[in-house]
Amino acid sequence: MSDFSYLVQFFFSGLTSGSIYALIAVSLVIVYRASQLICFSQGEFYVFGALIMASLLMKGIPLLAAFLLSLLSSVIMAGFIQYIVIRRLLKKPIGMLIVMTIAISLALRGFALLIWGRESYVVRPFFQVAPLSFVGATLPSQVFLIMGVTALVLLCLWLFFEKTLIGLAMRACAENPDAASLMGINVHRMSLFAWMWGGAIGAISGMVVAPLLFTQYTSGIMPMVKGFIAMSIGGLTGISGAALGGFLLGLTEAFTVGLVSSRFSDAIVFTILIIVLIFKPSGLFARSQ
Amino acid sequence: MNIRRILTNPYLILCLSVLIAPFVFADKSAYVTGVLIFCAVYTILTIGLDLLMGYTGQISVGHASFFAIGAYVSAILTTRYGLSPLGAMASGMVLSGILSWAIGRPVLALKEYYLAMATLAFNEIVISLIIGLEGLTGGASGIRDIPPFAIFGVSFKHHLLYYYLVWLITIFVIVLSRAIVNSPVGRALSAIHGDEIGARAFGIDCTKYKTGIFVIVNVFASLAGSLYAHFIGFIAPDDFQVGTSVSLLVMLYLGGIGTIWGPVIGACFLKILPEITYHFKDYELLVNGLILVFVLIFLPEGLYGTLKKITKRAEG
Repeated sequence: MSDFSYLVQFFFSGLTSGSIYALIAVSLVIVYRASQLICFSQGEFYVFGALIMASLLMKGIPLLAAFLLSLLSSVIMAGFIQYIVIRRLLKKPIGMLIVMTIAISLALRGFALLIWGRESYVVRPFFQVAPLSFVGATLPSQVFLIMGVTALVLLCLWLFFEKTLIGLAMRACAENPDAASLMGINVHRMSLFAWMWGGAIGAISGMVVAPLLFTQYTSGIMPMVKGFIAMSIGGLTGISGAALGGFLLGLTEAFTVGLVSSRFSDAIVFTILIIVLIFKPSGLFARSQ
Repeated sequence: MNIRRILTNPYLILCLSVLIAPFVFADKSAYVTGVLIFCAVYTILTIGLDLLMGYTGQISVGHASFFAIGAYVSAILTTRYGLSPLGAMASGMVLSGILSWAIGRPVLALKEYYLAMATLAFNEIVISLIIGLEGLTGGASGIRDIPPFAIFGVSFKHHLLYYYLVWLITIFVIVLSRAIVNSPVGRALSAIHGDEIGARAFGIDCTKYKTGIFVIVNVFASLAGSLYAHFIGFIAPDDFQVGTSVSLLVMLYLGGIGTIWGPVIGACFLKILPEITYHFKDYELLVNGLILVFVLIFLPEGLYGTLKKITKRAEG
């Protein structure tokens, strides 16, 4: 492999992890805008998505059906959590909200431990196609699938929030819940929809990456933290900013691991984050007011 | 009436429980005392977090980072440079103080989720530096053979002796924290919690106070780290992950935030709970999570607030 093909390899591995970070960051943003809280249990939907799909595939259920069933169960789970717990927490202090979503995430993780135990699961690639060779770099088909799905999800979100009436109502709730409720919008229901979106996107991110990584009940922590970083780079409230933040984070990470040091890559990424937070707390892509 | 007031004095209850606990819990075994020592260590940590979050309103999701720094400074200085445990502990506290003063000023200018994010990131940085700087810290495999605590040659190797020392220090931390809270400084901190701009309008130098309390709680955390390291004798980066910071938050809210006594109850409860739910094996995580969800929804004032309500009602 030439130096250039290494760079290409880093670029694509950055785009792959960046896609996952972008998806999780976007799901965090949607939930944040609807419920004014950062959901620390978002990583659990990633895990449940991947593990439910792995179990269904092992039972011999076809790929597409397994994908949709797993997606549906995460959506129901997210909706259930919003309905049972989150509605009770309107206008509570932030620390309590953080601890509450952490508590939910502990319970979900415990639930996953009971169902799947401590084993790690990996599923077969969605398409049995030989890895593509591109200027000396080897690119498995799943990488393109992940990027394609991410693009598709982002497109759907854009269509939903810009072109549908429910999307408009949800944006209104994010801007000003009290005014939206005066206009006859059911704020709780919009928050429920947002959580369902969050569950769906979290599950999708877990499922598309399931053939590349081993997933077990604790696997949701790191993607959640990285999604959180991507979200802060984008400034917490912007969906496109969060998605860009995810890709930026994935690429930065891939190139620091490849070119600088794999040992200190986390330290470098997190230091960059603190610097961004201090000097540009509204995110890198915020429009000037 | 008067007797009841004396009997419900939290200091008295705590001191008595500390005195008799190792004898009540079965066979005075090193294991039971060990759990009780962890209770003390986590109590110190959680009280610090309470001063920072409950009284000053500054969120931290990285409180374990200075716990790590204290433990590692103690471990490195005693095992590699032959310093006495007391000297190592003091060096850790001084280093933590200086470091938190340096990072406190820029970081505490952040608010709410941004502050949560920055403190979490700091925790991750500390962990990846510990794992990365293998030559100094032993990397992922940690440092072993840390000597037991000693003061001027008097060793606290016996677990019961160390237990009483650690709890004595913990009670000192409680007294000190309550003194801070009830002083004019404490009132300034509460003002910052309530409304920072308002506090500034009344002439409170918010940056100074926030940085000051940040230094104090991190010195506490470093102290807890040293006490922990000298007891357990072996430390590894896993003990100080973000997960630990998160469980400190959980202890704080479980016990009752903004009360100082709440963290004592929360920390002890959460350290002793696994010894009971341990029998549930794989159910443990689920049970702990559900208990916490339940407490947050139905007992938002935490265990201490609820206990206080019950005793008040009993008094009529």
